[in-house]
Amino acid sequence: MTVNRRNKPASVNPIKIGQSLGAVLALQGCYRAMPLIHGSQGCSAFPKALLTRHFREPIAVQTSALQEMDVIFDANRNLEEALNIVLSKHRPDIIGIIGTELTDVAGVDYATMLKSYKRERNMRGGLAFSVVLPDFRGSIESGFSATVEAMIDEMIQQVGHRGSRTVNTRQITLLPGSFLTPADVMELKEMISAFGFEVIAVPDISTSLSGHLLTGFSPLTRGGVPLDSMLQSLQSGLTIAVGASMERPARRLHNALGTPYKVFNGAMGLKATDEMLHFLHQISGEPVPLRYCWQRENLLDSMLDAHFQFAGMSVVSALEPDHLYSISAWLEELGVEQKALIASYETPVVAGMEREVWIGDMDDAEVLGGGADLWISNSHGIAGAQRIGAAFMPAGFPVWNELGAYMSVSVGYRGAMEWSNKAGNLLMQREAKHRESSVRHR
Amino acid sequence: MDPIRKDEFDSEACGSKAPKSKPCPRPKPGEAAGGCSFDGAQITLLPIMDAAHLVHGPIACAGNSWESRGTLSSGPSLSQYGFATDLNDSDIIFGGEKKLKESIDYIAGRFAPPAIFVYSTCVTALIGEDMDAVCKEAGDRLGIPVIPVNSPGFVGSKNLGNRLAGDALLQYVIGTGEPEPELPPGVNLIGEYNIAGEMWDIEKLMNSAGIAVTSRITGDARYKEITWAHRAKVNMVVCSRALLGLAKEMESRYGIPYFEGSFYGAKETTYSLRQMAYLMNDRDMERRVDRLTEREESRLTQDLRPYRKILKGKRAVLYTGGVKSWSVISALKELGVQVVGVGTNKSTEDDVRRIADRVGDDTEYIPEGGATRILKTVRERKADIMIAGGRNMYVAMKEQIPFIDINQERHKAYAGYEGLLRLAKELTYSLANPIWKLASSPAPWDKEVPYDR
Repeated sequence: MTVNRRNKPASVNPIKIGQSLGAVLALQGCYRAMPLIHGSQGCSAFPKALLTRHFREPIAVQTSALQEMDVIFDANRNLEEALNIVLSKHRPDIIGIIGTELTDVAGVDYATMLKSYKRERNMRGGLAFSVVLPDFRGSIESGFSATVEAMIDEMIQQVGHRGSRTVNTRQITLLPGSFLTPADVMELKEMISAFGFEVIAVPDISTSLSGHLLTGFSPLTRGGVPLDSMLQSLQSGLTIAVGASMERPARRLHNALGTPYKVFNGAMGLKATDEMLHFLHQISGEPVPLRYCWQRENLLDSMLDAHFQFAGMSVVSALEPDHLYSISAWLEELGVEQKALIASYETPVVAGMEREVWIGDMDDAEVLGGGADLWISNSHGIAGAQRIGAAFMPAGFPVWNELGAYMSVSVGYRGAMEWSNKAGNLLMQREAKHRESSVRHR
Repeated sequence: MDPIRKDEFDSEACGSKAPKSKPCPRPKPGEAAGGCSFDGAQITLLPIMDAAHLVHGPIACAGNSWESRGTLSSGPSLSQYGFATDLNDSDIIFGGEKKLKESIDYIAGRFAPPAIFVYSTCVTALIGEDMDAVCKEAGDRLGIPVIPVNSPGFVGSKNLGNRLAGDALLQYVIGTGEPEPELPPGVNLIGEYNIAGEMWDIEKLMNSAGIAVTSRITGDARYKEITWAHRAKVNMVVCSRALLGLAKEMESRYGIPYFEGSFYGAKETTYSLRQMAYLMNDRDMERRVDRLTEREESRLTQDLRPYRKILKGKRAVLYTGGVKSWSVISALKELGVQVVGVGTNKSTEDDVRRIADRVGDDTEYIPEGGATRILKTVRERKADIMIAGGRNMYVAMKEQIPFIDINQERHKAYAGYEGLLRLAKELTYSLANPIWKLASSPAPWDKEVPYDR
């Protein structure tokens, strides 16, 4: 409906996260990959520390470690040095070179450099691509989707022109958005495969960042979708994108290979799940598995149980655009008042929402959401929620104040049920606390 | 005030501007780990809790880093706010100085902080923003100190950033105020950031010995108290080699003697307290310190007994930055833990000498980072536990190695006598946790014992 901004010059308590972190996240979902950030040391140290804090897993990332003089004279010499070391020491299957605001402002042309590097070294068999992600634009979400797009581009260039494509109609490529947790991606894969499809998620953080001890430590990514599966995904009969930001990579597949695609903007709540299962049912001709019919009943029942809890309650949510859209649809079904919706930056999907959306930061959430009962945002929102006296519900990235947040499911009927219960419980606890403090002692 | 001439600093302490200087070598592309100078400057200045800290640049520098450090406050929390000018495309093209000015005005007007620190970033340094001029103009107009911190990420390592932050304090803060008259002469604690509340443990000890703290630089500090740091009698450089330059400059400018000390381990703690009293030149205080340290040490010996029994002979690999390499060794040695490998990547030659004094020849030095290198040492030296920073924590977890976090993100305070007891407990809990046995034994169906029907 409308997109607003509060008039203030500085960002106070930002929600926004650098785009390059989204790129690092995307590459974590590919097996034996190495994201290489072309920037100064901090450009990789901060994302590494923050991702480690959220997922409680080691994060693979390297840097070209630019220093002042390198930027002025020849930044690509550092990149070449970094590539040499990474290739000879770790032999990754996939390398993603991530340009930063620093290389962008300095006007470093690493795309051409990478091309000639690949030619000179006769690099074959792996994927090496670059992506421009200065963080004076976008946020983690745009960085994630742009990286997936660049990766798909590189795959198409490598194998796309090799003769005609044999389309496997029983195979679906899933493009999960950046707001989905490893458990969410797993749940989506299960839902699709329950209709008899084979699913290849690109990228697939459900097998890399879900927590496992299988491969011990490696400087490269541990788990994720292997390169041959990724290449095989080009044969898929259909692409399913979850999150509006993933439409671009899906469209890229469509334009280059003719693969039809379906975008699900939302993934949370009864209606979104209905839509997805109905779609899968229609394209497969298979009945909806009993398990989901049961889960639907369970969800409806638990929403009935909880609706007393949500009556008259109000919520403020501050999230990445796609996530905000998704969560807002779920909140609609709970019947709570959505006091304020704040997105980190503007995208078509939030601009097209039927509610008023603000582009801003946690401080805006605090001002616009004053008096709200529930606060939904990443862990940076804890202090703000406390100040306005709202119950705090962590969502998105980063979440560090609870264990296992990265394994919580929000998609499907099961996810909606878990989240409805969680939100209801938080409100219940808050109410109990209020009651306690209002007891008068004589 | 004259700007400080950079070459006045001793080149030995990390952060000499010469890029090849030993403690701050050029990070190696493709192999570098650790933060940049911007990160380092923030680590030093963010513990000034009542000040506003504004990052001038695109979002990531602030957006990816705010609220990531374990420094605690006993009151004001403005420094935990993330302020950023959040530059966009057109700001980069047309310059961000106007936005910076407006941001400073906005923060001053809305939050009324005693001071605003403004950090430059790679991009604003690259496009040549005149941050110093904007800060000066704004400071004069608003009547509060607005301090430029020129430490963009690409000038070098985290250590250098610590040092550049120290420069900013010297140039703009220290010596600009006078203490309240009732404040007794005391000690500046330099380079103690109150991680997990360590500063509070240290202060408790100092209080019981009657030693006053003049300024905390900068753990749980208030802006005001740093302005009068030049009135202290003694400077103690706590575990931060990078701020040695600050202490040296204060010695030559204000004649304040300094010493380097640590609060990790009972011996080091006792030494540090004694040194303070000695440099204060106060016989009474020295006697009080003696009584206090004797009492504390004997109580600690009692408390530690059960833990020492368990920890004796255990082997540890210690991988941490700079000074902590040697100071934590002392603490571990007192608990009977043998350090079989130690990181020296950010240590100066002096630090390495100190490490050698404490560990002898039988320890492997790990000069350069990389988790693979640390793991190799752990395996080869058959270490029981790894002690390192949070970034390496999950590396250890994947290899099922007991781990203790020693860096700035941690939640446990290990300084002083109580801290040593806490460290002993943590080590014991970590080593004795049932998870190590559970994780290393296979699932029943993977054991090849045929079922006896």
